[in-house]
Amino acid sequence: MFTRIKEFFDGTTLSLFVTMVLVFLYMYLLNGGKYVDSYNIRSMAYQLPIIGFLAVGMMFTMLTGGINLAIVSNANLNGLIICLTLSWLTNSDSLVRNNMKNATVAQVVIAIAVGVAISVAIGVFHGFMVAWLRIPALLVTLGTMTFIIGVNEAATRGYTISGFPAYITSIGTENLWGIPIPMILFVLSCIVAWLLLYRTRFGFSLYMMGANETAAKFSGVNIMKISILQYVVSSLFASLTSLVMIGQLNSIKANYYESYVLVAVLACFLGGVDPNGGFGRLASVIVATFILQFISSGLNLQRLDPYMVTAMWGGIVIILIFGRALIAYFRSQLKRKTLEGGLL
Amino acid sequence: MRRYFFNRHEWFLVGVLVVLSAVITCINPSFLSFENITDLLKSFTVLGIFSLGMFMVIVSGGFDISFTAIAQAAQYAVVALLMFRWASIGDIWVAIFLAVLFGLVLGCVNGAIIHFFKIPPIMVTIATQNLYYGIMYVITKGDLIHDIPLYYREFSYARVIEFHRVDGAPYGLTLVTAIWIVLGIAAALFLKYTRLGRSIFALGGNRISAERIGFNICLTTIFVYGAMGAIAGLAAIVDVSIAGSVIPNSIVGKELQIIAAVILGGTAITGGKGSIQGTFLGVFLFAVLSNSLTLLKIPSYYYKVFTGLVILLAVAGNALQIKRQEGKKVRVQVDEIRAGGA
Amino acid sequence: MAFLELKGIRKSFDGVHALKGVDFTVEEGEVHGLVGENGSGKSTLMKIIAGVYTPDEGETYLDDRLVTDNSPFFSSVSGISVIYQDLSLFPNLTVVENIYMGKLVSDSGKIVNPKKYIQPAIDTLNGLGVAINPYDLVEMLPIAKQQIIAIARALTNKTRLLILDEPTTALTRKEILQLFEILGKLKEKGISFIFISHKLDEVLEICDRVTVLRDGDHIGTEPASSLGIEKIESMMLGKSLTFERKTSSGAKETEVLRLEKLTKKNNFADVSLTLKAGEIVGISGLLGSGRTELALALFGIAPADSGRIFINGRETRIDSVDAAVQRGIAYVPEDRLQQGLVMDHSIGDNIVLATQDDYVRKMRLIDRRAMRVTSERWIRDLGIKTDSAKKSARVLSGGNQQKVVVAKWLAMKPTILILDSPTVGIDVGAKSALYETIRDSARNGMAILMISDEMPELLSNCDRIYVMRNGRMIREFDAQKIGESDLRNALELSGTTSFSGVGV
Repeated sequence: MFTRIKEFFDGTTLSLFVTMVLVFLYMYLLNGGKYVDSYNIRSMAYQLPIIGFLAVGMMFTMLTGGINLAIVSNANLNGLIICLTLSWLTNSDSLVRNNMKNATVAQVVIAIAVGVAISVAIGVFHGFMVAWLRIPALLVTLGTMTFIIGVNEAATRGYTISGFPAYITSIGTENLWGIPIPMILFVLSCIVAWLLLYRTRFGFSLYMMGANETAAKFSGVNIMKISILQYVVSSLFASLTSLVMIGQLNSIKANYYESYVLVAVLACFLGGVDPNGGFGRLASVIVATFILQFISSGLNLQRLDPYMVTAMWGGIVIILIFGRALIAYFRSQLKRKTLEGGLL
Repeated sequence: MRRYFFNRHEWFLVGVLVVLSAVITCINPSFLSFENITDLLKSFTVLGIFSLGMFMVIVSGGFDISFTAIAQAAQYAVVALLMFRWASIGDIWVAIFLAVLFGLVLGCVNGAIIHFFKIPPIMVTIATQNLYYGIMYVITKGDLIHDIPLYYREFSYARVIEFHRVDGAPYGLTLVTAIWIVLGIAAALFLKYTRLGRSIFALGGNRISAERIGFNICLTTIFVYGAMGAIAGLAAIVDVSIAGSVIPNSIVGKELQIIAAVILGGTAITGGKGSIQGTFLGVFLFAVLSNSLTLLKIPSYYYKVFTGLVILLAVAGNALQIKRQEGKKVRVQVDEIRAGGA
Repeated sequence: MAFLELKGIRKSFDGVHALKGVDFTVEEGEVHGLVGENGSGKSTLMKIIAGVYTPDEGETYLDDRLVTDNSPFFSSVSGISVIYQDLSLFPNLTVVENIYMGKLVSDSGKIVNPKKYIQPAIDTLNGLGVAINPYDLVEMLPIAKQQIIAIARALTNKTRLLILDEPTTALTRKEILQLFEILGKLKEKGISFIFISHKLDEVLEICDRVTVLRDGDHIGTEPASSLGIEKIESMMLGKSLTFERKTSSGAKETEVLRLEKLTKKNNFADVSLTLKAGEIVGISGLLGSGRTELALALFGIAPADSGRIFINGRETRIDSVDAAVQRGIAYVPEDRLQQGLVMDHSIGDNIVLATQDDYVRKMRLIDRRAMRVTSERWIRDLGIKTDSAKKSARVLSGGNQQKVVVAKWLAMKPTILILDSPTVGIDVGAKSALYETIRDSARNGMAILMISDEMPELLSNCDRIYVMRNGRMIREFDAQKIGESDLRNALELSGTTSFSGVGV
């Protein structure tokens, strides 16, 4: 057990954990009691899962040096598909003037299932293009991102569509025994992600393939299968995001949270995921999303511009780059000293 | 030198452009008019100028997401400064000079972080994009600037070649488009005929070899990102002169489209390969695509659907070709069966 | 006259002595071989000559003048060039551009006119007498031609001493002969070479003198004519290495693998062979003979086009690695660093990588603890030198890394184990331990296919040896009945060949 704890606190995770505590303390000092009152804690618990889902979904692709630029547009498309299915099932005149409010539970379940199916299809497409045609994930997902945004825009004609039934919106807004449902979903999905990454053949292969695809292939790892699975998981996290988003915004649109694609990449990088693949811990990525959320909630309470949040997010990464370089420098100095000392 | 003006991929793009233009002209003959084409070029000038900087970054094996934020910040800072502080020296060339300088500094910061901390450029520039853009927004509070000085508008109206329509309205090749094209030619000459230019290709081809052979890769890296910043500064002023106002979120968010245009032009995302000609063609293809949708009266919502499809088809086609070549590779020169042999 | 003279060179890193007082001279127009085991200090010495490292102690003389400025720049203007194993070319540029790039960097002036450089570059290339289209992209050319381009590039810088680091590893025999011809031509013009290689027969073939290093010590420098392979080996190792011939074959009657006319276009053709349980069968062939391509086809990486494969008497198809593994085939690849190991992950994870299915428990979750236990057992059994299974595979020596790869596949309990050049770059101790493991496995009924171009290795371990050349199986030998010369002849290794027969 002790080694487990020690492992958890090695290198990047430790520096990240310290950063999280510092950020929290700073925001607490800045805002005082308001920061830790139940209202703010609750609002954080509602907001954090969105960054969280996207970051963990992004992480699954970055573990092999890939990226999923289409993750947010995929989430929006998922919302659109749910909306289209529901309006069709409820015989609506058009998307804008819809009868979705009258949908039954069964209809909602069908709509969500259709959304998930489309997401899975997108994931399969990504994995296939990356593994079979060997196109860099950046390009594939750039293409699908543009395409999906186009589809979203063409289908919604730029409108914001609302009128979702309470069965769906409650996912993003209600709570269970006082715990916000998005948070419950986030915790559950993190447990599933943890099991996937550390306790399945898929996760084991994913890390090994990310570090050296050739060697993994020469050890019997089915590259195509793992690739497809990783992008499917990523797309499923987009689906989850969409369910929470519909509730919180009570609507869908072509490009909600568009800027969060890069935020998700940033969270992974902050969480120590190696952009070249092979390394990165789920716990660190989750800590990283907490850091980003602490900053954004703290600055919101200050009634600061939301863009101050953006600036701080960028700033904290730059600071960590400097910090990690400094730590690495001192470590190497220390190592040299002890080595020389030991030999002399 | 046995390098033809266009390579195979570029000829393919030319072919696509010709076919596309022919189809549109059949449906709407006004497409091929000098007026329509110069208008089209003008509206894609900003994207075109950006793409030149992006081309150099990608060829050097790098990546940049932050340049739109740099442009946005440069635009706001320079326009505001020249309106409210230094109104007396307000002039389009002063504005361009200041914006280029501003962009150069921010770009060099990117380059320095990337080089000295050995962090993947995509990560560094996502972070600096957030940083630059956030700071700009905080300072400006997102306010629009409407009543910008006249010299911006005049700049975008200036024409190098001018004709008049029957009703007297002028049209022709605008100065801003000419600047884009001249800058492109200059970049091509720079890349080919200077040591620094060659070092960009060398760096993109094989970083370690470039270092071993004696190139100063620190200089090259910082130069490339600095140039991207400077070009972003220029594009920012061109953008404000065409748009006629400063809107703090008019450029950020377009970075992936510009990258797509460069990739479409045949530049390898892994670095080292590509040409300015190809980059021009990539931008033209986007321009013609968008214009054809307008002329064919297809709602503009579909623009991104087609753009996405074009990107996917282009990269998939390229990948298939590489895959086929790979399959044909001779690994072992297998002996023919000799007479009397086994 | 000595062009380069080093006296009493010492160098240490982090307190570890890499060179302990080495003297080294290179005469004008000499090919000087530099040999030693991995970690003997070859590459450190090379980098000191190239000016990359500054020695802690010792003096360097160039043309009998003491060198005071130790820098890559100085050694390059003094006419010293290095061709690293990776060649350091620019794959995205044309042949001429690659050749003149070095000159372009060293010339002053920011503006360059490529036209000025093209003709001299083409002339240099033509001077080497090799037909290469100067406008081809380098990435499209085979390694042998890239090597020649690297030499041409070095020559544009008025090179007087060219250091070649393992230049022949990726070349076929024909290409090696061509390279040697070029070196001979340049030697006549007074250019000197330092030839670093682990292929001792080639060292003896091309070098005038040979210097042997061991653990940073200078063991000796002798004219090549007075040395033999055994002599150099004993200098390298400090003891003489004897290969014990296997006395009895453990081959059983059951045939586990039979190939009939297996063919893959541009790789190999009409390959037939048989392999019995408990038998060790060698495939001897040089690079470019199709030996590795055959193994890749059997392992499902690059499946064959036609022909038949029988495993345990039943005909099967192998079109993926998964299919090969299902049928009990394991492959220890030639390129350990790229194909064999996930370097930055732990030794333990590497060992269980191929047998993940064995650890699946309820709900399809894997048992990490069982994985750890198994990997620790293999570390003990094969004597892998590490204090923890959690250490990354990168920190191991070459020999121990290879043991990890072998452990990975032995854990699968394969019926057929294919070993491709298993002992390249491995020191002696690890080599004999590895042979012991292989023989043990064979005794337990495993069928082993050993691909190698090291004659003693094949002769001492194998029951039968097939010879492969130009994509075809040309002969089959009983290993007990032949000597090294028979194998060498069959491979046409000696420059002038008398072998003219056709295969069995």
